[in-house]
Amino acid sequence: MPNPDVSPRAAYTAAVESLADRVLGALRGAEDTVVVAHHVDGAPDPKAALAAVRVLGPDVFAPVLLGTGSFGPADVRVVTESFRIFPPAPDATPEAVWRDWTTSRLLVRYGGDDLLGAPEPRSLTDGDGDGDGDDDEQADSPWRAWSLRMARLSPLALPGIDGPVHEAADRRCRALARGATRAMLRRDYPIAACLARWLACARLRGTRPDLDVAAMVRHIELHGVGGARTALDTAIARRMLERADRTERPGGPTP
Amino acid sequence: MTTSPMSAPAPAPVRESARLVAGRALGWLRRHCELGTLPPGTTAELAHPDSIYKPLGETALAASLVLREGPASDREAKTARELLDFAWWELRGGDMLYERQLRYMMMTDPLELYTHFVRAGYRHARLDALLEHLAGLVTVYAVEQVPNRRLAIANAARLMGIDRDIDWKRLTDATWLGNTPEPWVIDWMTAYSVTHTVFHITDWGARPHDLPPRVEEYLHLWLPVWLDVWREVEEWDLFAELLIVGACLGEPYLDPAAWDALAAAQHEDGLVPRDGKEVDEDPAQRFRDHHHPTVVAAVAGTLALSRATGR
Repeated sequence: MPNPDVSPRAAYTAAVESLADRVLGALRGAEDTVVVAHHVDGAPDPKAALAAVRVLGPDVFAPVLLGTGSFGPADVRVVTESFRIFPPAPDATPEAVWRDWTTSRLLVRYGGDDLLGAPEPRSLTDGDGDGDGDDDEQADSPWRAWSLRMARLSPLALPGIDGPVHEAADRRCRALARGATRAMLRRDYPIAACLARWLACARLRGTRPDLDVAAMVRHIELHGVGGARTALDTAIARRMLERADRTERPGGPTP
Repeated sequence: MTTSPMSAPAPAPVRESARLVAGRALGWLRRHCELGTLPPGTTAELAHPDSIYKPLGETALAASLVLREGPASDREAKTARELLDFAWWELRGGDMLYERQLRYMMMTDPLELYTHFVRAGYRHARLDALLEHLAGLVTVYAVEQVPNRRLAIANAARLMGIDRDIDWKRLTDATWLGNTPEPWVIDWMTAYSVTHTVFHITDWGARPHDLPPRVEEYLHLWLPVWLDVWREVEEWDLFAELLIVGACLGEPYLDPAAWDALAAAQHEDGLVPRDGKEVDEDPAQRFRDHHHPTVVAAVAGTLALSRATGR
């Protein structure tokens, strides 16, 4: 039952932190790998718990995609239910549309039977007119706006997912590195962690970033700010970098 | 992927902003130079060299670069020459530099200040002989200095033609920038070190291709980020120094929006505030506080204008 002493907003925030913490636990090898279903089953406020599933989006698949967890029928049911209670908003931002679309596609991959009403995202080059050309250094910091947008798309930065967003991240790895550096210098560690995820993802996909992403991730972790979501971002980045290391090492196993 | 459409009007071309900034800054330096005179009876000991003496050198640097690059107008040429004459007069036609260098052999500021005048054609025969003599001593190469300061001395020696066996690669490799480190670790003080490393290797943009290619590439990559970060917190002095760095690169980095920002931060009278804090109304205090960033802006504007052909 919802606690009447806790505001809905606080309850939702707590639920998001709690779910992020569970996903993080699964990444670190916790025994309970039925992350999503158990999160809702044991929640003090089931509706807030379902909202958290929607907020984390593709991140709830991180353990299974990184090989440290599973995603079973009970989890599928919970994600389906979360879309029923909180359907995609018609006026959702393009980033939210991409997150929902990715979640729905992953759900189908792991046993879901429909796309949950998630609309297909617009082509990345549609719309606002600035295009997706290579980073033009002399223009007015296109890397800054673009990297902030990619930070909002960071739940897509996972292994085993591909698409135009990932291709753009590979192509514009330099803009991501600039955005990550800017966030570090502004001590905005949550944004830095989101962008470190993309840099790690690009590395795993065979692009070599212009900076040492592992060092950046370690530094963000040592700051220990941003709560469970930032911890989850750095943990995912770390796993992808480890996987990239194994791939790049001569004779190392292929993931 | 798309980015939000820019709502602000397109920035002016760099040539326009740079010309405006440099012209106004030079005018301000000329109109206020008499606030920077050495007290009567000042000797080479200089209890407070940073108060008047070093600013005279900075003014001379800016004016010498205006003349070196070819001034934008006859008026600016005249202003630059007047500033150099003023500073040279204050230094007693170089006698002060000579006395200070003779008294303090290990100090490098007399040499460094002198080069700004030499660049513009001023000479002091006894100081020339003294510097030639000191360059022959072992000690000048053994002075304990931080790496970017070593580059300052090397550049001054190069300008004087008294550089002997200077290993530019070794000096560059010893600096923070020369190691092309993690760009997100830089702090305010180190950013100044970076700027000065570039100034001295390139002799303030005269030798842009002397920067090692890996350093040039590193700066092209990270300079936009550093400019962005220090613009946001309105550190105009450092911001303008970073703009000089952009103008010193083999392929100059001249961002019209950054130049617009500096032009917007500059006061109508030409003063460039060192940061976003309130500017004191007292003329003497204003001069003390904001002489340096105004010099930096004059240098930045001069070099950017010179290298902004067609931009």
